[in-house]
Amino acid sequence: MRTLWWTLAIAGMSLISIVLSQHRTFDPLQNLSLTVAAPIESGIGDLADPASDFFQGVFDRGDIVRENERLRRELERLQTQVAAGEDATRRVRELEDALGFKNSHPDDQLVVADVIAQDPSGLKRALAVNRGSKDGLDEGMVVLSRDGSLVGTLSLVYDDFAWLRLITDPNSAVNVAVLPQGEGNAAARGIAAGDLRSGVTLEMLPTETEISPGDLVTTSGLGGNYPRALLLGTVKTVEDRPQAPSKHALLEPAADVSALETILVVTSFKPARLSAP
Amino acid sequence: MKYLAALAGAFLAAVLTASLSPYVKVLGVAPDFVLIFAACWAMVRGQSEAMFVVPIAGLLRDLTTSDPLGLSVLALSPIVFLALLRELRPVESDFLPALVVVATASLAYSIISMTVLTAVGDDVSWGTALLRLTVPAMVVNPLFAVIVYPPLRWLSPRPRPASFGVGSAVQL
Repeated sequence: MRTLWWTLAIAGMSLISIVLSQHRTFDPLQNLSLTVAAPIESGIGDLADPASDFFQGVFDRGDIVRENERLRRELERLQTQVAAGEDATRRVRELEDALGFKNSHPDDQLVVADVIAQDPSGLKRALAVNRGSKDGLDEGMVVLSRDGSLVGTLSLVYDDFAWLRLITDPNSAVNVAVLPQGEGNAAARGIAAGDLRSGVTLEMLPTETEISPGDLVTTSGLGGNYPRALLLGTVKTVEDRPQAPSKHALLEPAADVSALETILVVTSFKPARLSAP
Repeated sequence: MKYLAALAGAFLAAVLTASLSPYVKVLGVAPDFVLIFAACWAMVRGQSEAMFVVPIAGLLRDLTTSDPLGLSVLALSPIVFLALLRELRPVESDFLPALVVVATASLAYSIISMTVLTAVGDDVSWGTALLRLTVPAMVVNPLFAVIVYPPLRWLSPRPRPASFGVGSAVQL
């Protein structure tokens, strides 16, 4: 009988807490708990790096992993430049037709933040960072890797901390443009959706466009939630089913989102949700 | 004192889950130290103490993740029922039932948390999550329970032998 009462009480209180939590009632409490836990979590995270290397492989694999990470970042930086170049060329052609156009976007303003924890549930791909609304952050703001590629958006913002939803999270969907290699090929627009199994999938790509592995994928700017021409990564594989209404592909993110330590939050770009009246 | 120790243990487990777990993934999933701690505590100390430890552990877990507050408390609550296995003593060993409880609690935790997340509007791909997270978690969490259970068992006083049976008959 006591167990039954306990269960009813716990279930009732939990459900009320979940509802209140959705209304952001417990934000101060969660901010406080992260304030207490963050230094400990950070310290343990630093100590855990060698353990991570151990679990990934054999003894000197750590050096290979670090070297691989350095090369990957270099590649990401170069790809970012190429993507920006290709998009700039396309844009020049468009702008030539639109005399009087004035770029109203101010220079990017960025807030640097450190990753302090990862969401452990496995159902989400989220990271906690040590900056919050006191630093000018708001929900929906775009987050870049240190080398400038898109890694996600802010999903929860407390006073001093925030949760970053990665592009690999199942709740993430970004309007993208696939830039085919070679002159004259039009960019294919689609959606980059997070997926627990394969990371990021490219969906709703038009069947008539030619895309191939290695093509760059950038934000298209559609919808107003992301600035245009931010690099996400490259096409990894293309699934071409003749009867399918759209093409489907897998994306190789430019940034290693599972190993992010420092991120950049773009505070100058207001997503459509925030800038709407 | 025992409740203070439970609180400290639950806090440590919550911090380890948020900071260390992502670095020690096995079979693609991170061990859930909070669940392992709560289940092992329930099996070592009994149902009445589990009724205290489970809500505390769940609360601390929620405070260090992006989940809505209350989700883990709800998802961990089946541990209290599973702790009945300790009283039933289906086998002579205490350890094997503890592993079974950790595995079953992992399954219950996944299903409840996915239900809650779906209810609050999150996109949860059930098939993938069950196959890639829940099933591996039912193996990985008991593996790590092998590390957590023995110290808890060692720190807890052994239950006194029953006053009936062959020994008591001889005394009579």
